[in-house]
Amino acid sequence: MVWSKVSRVTDPDPSAATPRVVDLGSVVEPDEPEPPPPDDASLSPQAREEAARRAEQDRRDRRLVRKLKEGDERAFQELVTTYQNRIFGLMLRMIGNRQEAEDLAQEVFIIVYRAIGSYRGEGRFYTWLYRIASNTCKNRIKYLKGRNFHRSVEIEDSPQAQLPASEGGAVVTFQSQVPGPEATVEGSRMEQVIQRELAALDPEHRLLIVLRDIQGLSYQDIIRITGLQEGTLKSRLHRARLALKERLQPYLR
Amino acid sequence: MAEPSTTDADALMSAYLDKQLAPEEAAKVEQLLAASPEAREELDGLQNMLKLVKGLPEVEAPPDFYEKVAKKLRRRRGRGEVLWMLALPFQVLSVVMILVVAVTYMLLHLDHDPSVKLERDPAAKKAAEMAPVVP
Repeated sequence: MVWSKVSRVTDPDPSAATPRVVDLGSVVEPDEPEPPPPDDASLSPQAREEAARRAEQDRRDRRLVRKLKEGDERAFQELVTTYQNRIFGLMLRMIGNRQEAEDLAQEVFIIVYRAIGSYRGEGRFYTWLYRIASNTCKNRIKYLKGRNFHRSVEIEDSPQAQLPASEGGAVVTFQSQVPGPEATVEGSRMEQVIQRELAALDPEHRLLIVLRDIQGLSYQDIIRITGLQEGTLKSRLHRARLALKERLQPYLR
Repeated sequence: MAEPSTTDADALMSAYLDKQLAPEEAAKVEQLLAASPEAREELDGLQNMLKLVKGLPEVEAPPDFYEKVAKKLRRRRGRGEVLWMLALPFQVLSVVMILVVAVTYMLLHLDHDPSVKLERDPAAKKAAEMAPVVP
């Protein structure tokens, strides 16, 4: 079964941003050092293209951060629009509840707005953003665990899930490429199963699976976000995958 | 949480799948896969699981997401201003009270200081000057 393509963090959707809100050409160049140009001959053309796209994204983020520090709310809007899907996606996969995920994702951006003065531009903006998001999420999970939270809305049961984004729904489609009601039902069921088994994992393991396998972050970015050592990341990710594989065993062919 | 050693080829399997291993580490995993059908089975199982998980659909935030964030920010900012305005009279009152206490203390302290008393009362000052000096 082949499902719709997953968006990757390393591949930001340029259409998600609203280019009309900030004229980046008029923004003064940031004082942080630019990343080196991707001219390494050892890289494949694809990797070079990817590196160039990331470098462009980083430059754009730095300009927006600089504008935001100067109090430009349009820059904030553009940052939110650029990253809202990924942060909402992270929260949804971690928490499994749409409303809770939306509230948490909003909270993350409010923290970013308030703490932007303390962001010194060391490292990529989005790893800083993800660090805030993952800490917010882990704290929330702890809090919910303490309150014995168990009102997680199943994805297919949520009325909002049935609505397209244009009608106010957070879109979650999980179906085969062959259209039809059976494929849709099967896709939704599988998504629900994966979400349920994911939620049963230890939050640390869950976070690694979401960051690496669902959102497609690189090992280096995950290390910057979580603060783990490379060896620890590799072994912990492996254990997380083994745990999920065991849980999903009946559905694997 | 104690982590297993990553030198264990088994624990390197995920990194192998992600093409994150140095050539010598990858060779170690390949050696293990060639020698152990169980390891090969585990690798296949992991690949199948990853296919499922990576096939999860794209998730989009609601279209009015930014508006909601902006609204929350405005509301909190407004609440902060109201709290500040409410707190202002109390802050002024606190400063006044501190000043009153400080001034009162200084006045009382001055009253008990003998040198100040002598300066204020010329008769006492004169008596002090006339008093015989005890060797």
